[in-house]
Amino acid sequence: MPHNWTIGEMPEDATLKPTGAGDTQASILHVDLDAFFVSAELLRRPELAGRPVVVGGAGRRGVVAAASYEARYYGLSSGMPSAQARRLCPQAEFIPGDHDYYEGIWTRVKEVLRSFTPLVEAVSADEAFMDVSGSQLRFGCSLEIGHRIRADVLAQEGLNCSVGVASNKLLAKLASRRAKPRPGADCLIPGRGVVHIPPSGEKAFLNPMALEEMWGVGASTLRKLERMGLRTVADLAEISLTALAEVFGNAHGQHLHNIARGIDESPVVPYRPPKSMSSEVTFATDVSSVDELEKEILRQSEALARRLRKAGCSARTVVLKLRHPDFRTLTRSRTLKGPTRHGALICREARFLLREYLGGLRQGFEGFRLMGVGVSGLSFNEPVQMSLDGEELSSEALDEAVDSIRSRFGDEAVAPAALLEYNRQRGAWGPDASA
Amino acid sequence: MKFRCERDSLTNAIGRASRAVAKSTHSLIHQGLLLQLDGDSLTVTGSDIDLTIQARVEVTGFESGEVLVPSRLFVDVIRHLPLGAVDVTLAESNVVIRDARERSEFLVRTMNSADFVSVPEVETAPISVEVSDFVAGLKRVIPAARKDDSRPILTGVLVATKGSSLRLVATDSYRLGLCDLDGIDMGVDEEGVIVPSRALEEITKVMGDVDKLFVKLDDNTAVFEFDDLTVTTRLINGDFPSYENLIPTDHPNVLIANRVEMLDAIRRVRLVGDTETPIRINIQSDSVTLSSGTDRGEAKEVIENIEYKGEELQIAFNASYLNDGIEVARSDAIVLLTADALKPALLKGDGDTGFLYLLMPVRVV
Repeated sequence: MPHNWTIGEMPEDATLKPTGAGDTQASILHVDLDAFFVSAELLRRPELAGRPVVVGGAGRRGVVAAASYEARYYGLSSGMPSAQARRLCPQAEFIPGDHDYYEGIWTRVKEVLRSFTPLVEAVSADEAFMDVSGSQLRFGCSLEIGHRIRADVLAQEGLNCSVGVASNKLLAKLASRRAKPRPGADCLIPGRGVVHIPPSGEKAFLNPMALEEMWGVGASTLRKLERMGLRTVADLAEISLTALAEVFGNAHGQHLHNIARGIDESPVVPYRPPKSMSSEVTFATDVSSVDELEKEILRQSEALARRLRKAGCSARTVVLKLRHPDFRTLTRSRTLKGPTRHGALICREARFLLREYLGGLRQGFEGFRLMGVGVSGLSFNEPVQMSLDGEELSSEALDEAVDSIRSRFGDEAVAPAALLEYNRQRGAWGPDASA
Repeated sequence: MKFRCERDSLTNAIGRASRAVAKSTHSLIHQGLLLQLDGDSLTVTGSDIDLTIQARVEVTGFESGEVLVPSRLFVDVIRHLPLGAVDVTLAESNVVIRDARERSEFLVRTMNSADFVSVPEVETAPISVEVSDFVAGLKRVIPAARKDDSRPILTGVLVATKGSSLRLVATDSYRLGLCDLDGIDMGVDEEGVIVPSRALEEITKVMGDVDKLFVKLDDNTAVFEFDDLTVTTRLINGDFPSYENLIPTDHPNVLIANRVEMLDAIRRVRLVGDTETPIRINIQSDSVTLSSGTDRGEAKEVIENIEYKGEELQIAFNASYLNDGIEVARSDAIVLLTADALKPALLKGDGDTGFLYLLMPVRVV
């Protein structure tokens, strides 16, 4: 049986004849922007095109957020420590991330996707699922829609994306990966752009796939599977549900059993309200000064509160995450009386958690490697009982004023007085040339 | 100390006095009831320092004296005895409780009465107050007082003189109840005193069927004396929030609706909500629609028999706060005065000039 989806082997669109409205079997699309952060930077700095480019974090402990295909040829990948990336590819251009800029582009790309169907589920900052089963009368079959999306995104934003077309989200995501361009020695090997897995070809598509490529197979699951002598999806499909449930528990066992058969019944959910938000920072050197930790808490709390307000929601629980130099990581949380989106309140709770934790330590501590503030228990458009003395209005009015100043003059334009010096010392997020 | 008393008379007295006994368990001495027998007069005192309730009951006294008993146990024992007379006798460190037919017998260990709180005395001349109006006024403002201790001042009721009236004000900062009682002079000035709402609430519950009460006040303490009952409470020190400028004077929108219909509608739409779920109110020229909803379900109630002058309005309120206000308005028809969805609304009884209930809306999106 020909593996007709792999690059080069499959004649263009041979397996799919446009069938119009009847084409409901493969109506899930996965759209993934190609090397998004890097491509977005290249729009602003076209002179870097064709060179290895890395967008990522600064300092000794920064990591790569995105690498161009040219950089990937040298083995760079996202999540890799920046220092290692520098060693592998010293000639790469390192660019600090500008997440507001990427978010703006992604928002416009999602608008393009929504012009085909309202059923668009963004799963991260650069990929989305779509259910086009109701759009085919108007826009043609799923494959045609995939090509139109690529053309529209390229025309409007100057960016390439890859599209996977299949009968469910699991397969569509795997398909889009097959549609991606690949790094080559001298040039980029262009991808197919759109890869379609017809229902009849699902099994043959999946079977040879390595298990680590599958969704929901993390490092520890993979180790266990390898110990069972399993390497490919076909191997996994041989194992009975009972046996899998015994090793992995009922839920995870069922999941593995499903993915081995290409089964994924999760629907495309156009809007999934976030359940939590968090931020964290890995310090360049471990921080033991309580004063500095508290300032960092204030900074993150203010930023989180702003994200909450931007998303139009409030949080009920504040979470503090701490990582010791030996990587022991812990979280502590506190639940508020009522939901808040006010930075000072989040900060107060997180600082309380910090002091509580430090107070409970039996021996002195050597500082923290990482600290993060998060919120959970998010609610939207929570009704606000107003009070006669206008307490809640004055803090809200302050937040609104600060937000509007920041959106006009930049984030650094207004800050809590306690952070002015701290922010200056902290500097901008970007590559550290000395690293 | 030894006396005989009808079970129900004794239950009544100790039941009322024990309402002042501290509910928490950490302070043992405040868990006691002090029994003091002087001839045929038994005085039962319960106190948590802030609030003291003393109930008096006539008994057949055999030997005067006093004893401190654990409140919960003593009340439970007396209440569960068979109907009829009860004998209570102090025997060394026990109180012996028997029913008159001597079929039930209990020994209850006593506590050291020397440790009991001393009830503050107030020396001022007692001022006589008509009970019915005063208690009715209290019942109308107490629901608006704050229940938790986060702002202690707001747990009190302001009792002040306003012109020829006695003014009662309570607010938890989300709503405010105000009642002017004509012709009552309690000897307070215009600044007034702040009486813990818990003490006043207990008064409305324990005072029984009486016409007159006597009030004695000094800087720190208020004493309310009834025939067979004395309630003594600490006053709350501090400044009551200035409330008069909060009460709006002009309202573009005036709704008049039947009070019972409103209460019924609120009770029904609340069924789908949680405690914090607001009730949304849409007011049009010929009808009021109340609605509420959560993930569990939605409810809608239309009331047509209304009068309305003003613009169509959408406004939302906390369900309990709204219910409280309409509950205490007590006229056949209520008047709801509004400006817009975010400004305080004013609730009154139609034709009732002595009462108002100011209520902040809930902002909904």
